[in-house]
Amino acid sequence: MAYLSTRDFLDDKAYLDRWQYTLRTGELDLSWMNVATERIACRPQSPRRGLTFRDLDVGSYGFSEMPEIIRENRSFAPRGAAMPDGLPDAQADVNLKSEVWAYNVEGYYEEAMSRQWNATTDIPWAELAEIELPETIGKAYAQLLTFLTEVEMIATDVPAKWLGRLNADFFEVKNFIATQAMDEARHAEVFRKRALTTGFGLMCASPHNENNLKFLRDGDSFAEVSLGLHLQAEGMVLTLFRFSEFISPTEADKKLFRLVMQDEARHVGYGMQHLKWVIDHFPEKRETIHRYLDEAENFVFGAGYCTEVTEPFIILAGKGLKRENIAEGIRITRRFQLKQIEEYFERLTKCGLPERRERSKLARARELMQAALDTPVGS
Amino acid sequence: MAAISFPSEAFFRELKRLMGERGERFRALGYFDVIFGVHVTPDRPGAPESRFVLGFDVFDCIRADAVAAFGNDVDFVLEGQLAVWREMLENIKGRGAADIAHGINTLTHFGDALRVRYDDPDGHDKLYRFAESIQEFFNLAAHVETTFPGVERAGATARA
Repeated sequence: MAYLSTRDFLDDKAYLDRWQYTLRTGELDLSWMNVATERIACRPQSPRRGLTFRDLDVGSYGFSEMPEIIRENRSFAPRGAAMPDGLPDAQADVNLKSEVWAYNVEGYYEEAMSRQWNATTDIPWAELAEIELPETIGKAYAQLLTFLTEVEMIATDVPAKWLGRLNADFFEVKNFIATQAMDEARHAEVFRKRALTTGFGLMCASPHNENNLKFLRDGDSFAEVSLGLHLQAEGMVLTLFRFSEFISPTEADKKLFRLVMQDEARHVGYGMQHLKWVIDHFPEKRETIHRYLDEAENFVFGAGYCTEVTEPFIILAGKGLKRENIAEGIRITRRFQLKQIEEYFERLTKCGLPERRERSKLARARELMQAALDTPVGS
Repeated sequence: MAAISFPSEAFFRELKRLMGERGERFRALGYFDVIFGVHVTPDRPGAPESRFVLGFDVFDCIRADAVAAFGNDVDFVLEGQLAVWREMLENIKGRGAADIAHGINTLTHFGDALRVRYDDPDGHDKLYRFAESIQEFFNLAAHVETTFPGVERAGATARA
């Protein structure tokens, strides 16, 4: 209980008198009715879509004209409300628009709300219960699901950690981040449920992965966290989900991965549009971004390409542990890992960082993978 | 209902109509805002190719047109030989929905069966933001009597 009231209201005679006077006499103060807030008319541009945040982008309530530095609102007052004396300083950590804003953030929020799904009822669990996976495949799949549960738990913690630290004026971003926390919690749920229904339970936690997750969780600023989480890590995971759908052993598993990839692609979309906003408005931040990515890429390579992540992919892609299965699994996994890095660079290029391809240490990893593609497995 | 040939504008307009009939299913999946192309390439030299644009807005398919070329408004293009499209559609027709080898993500993943063409990675990612809706849209082909005049069957199953 760190924050204490400066008054004990039940012992405050003036406060009690005012309250009792109103209830006794019926004489209302009504000063709150006379605030000079803006009166506007908001209507849905598309009745089929409903009333969206974009429809509310009007006057002092809107977001288009929001300044880069939020100086006035230090409280929890919703943007556009009157702010009388006495509001607390909520001490938001993030008060610069460029640290959080993204093109179309209001659209991503509406899409997130509209495309929610339910891990308990939208996956045909009864159908999955009838499917017995071969031991090798089942263990490899359970290891992948263990890794993904680990990832998604921290992907829930990170947006949730920052949600209350953003200035209240960033209403649309806060709401989007709230949907992300919900999405990631659902992903952790669905991967845990699937792991426990494979018949093999959870397998092994990953030190490499957890060190990367700690790096993501402990970012110094929201801008760093967004770059590391939304764009880099989730971008990599999006390609991984698509690959996981590709190698999934059943139709129900494919549906599971289609549903999680939808959410993940939306988070990556926010990350891309945020980075693009920063580069467009504050190009001087380019070097800071590169320096962060230098370390983030080191961590993600350590996490995403370590033994306990790569080997389940090889087994699942090759469909077994025989020599020919492993050779085929390695061939397919090499292509996936190359694609993962390629798509990451494509996104950075689109955001305005084309030079990252040359500067990044992942370019070296890409060269190694490219060379490996031309080398027969076992040679 | 008379059989509809593939590829044709009539085929995609029938999927559009069926999507309207099953509005509740697509409403449950959520907003579906994307424009993408379908490029059916020939199986043999000299055979014709076809291009279609499919546009989706809110919960509906609002456009299913044959086009001569794709414009800048297209987020991505699904491209592949006629035999691959035939195998996918026959699989859907036979099973009511795509099996594990014939879903859009599986067929396009490494670009060996179908390819995804795009200029903008943000547009490309819409294939995944709306993955379930797109798959459900193609699964509507289970309700269409489709003919494939002059098309060879081919092994189109996705291979890495």
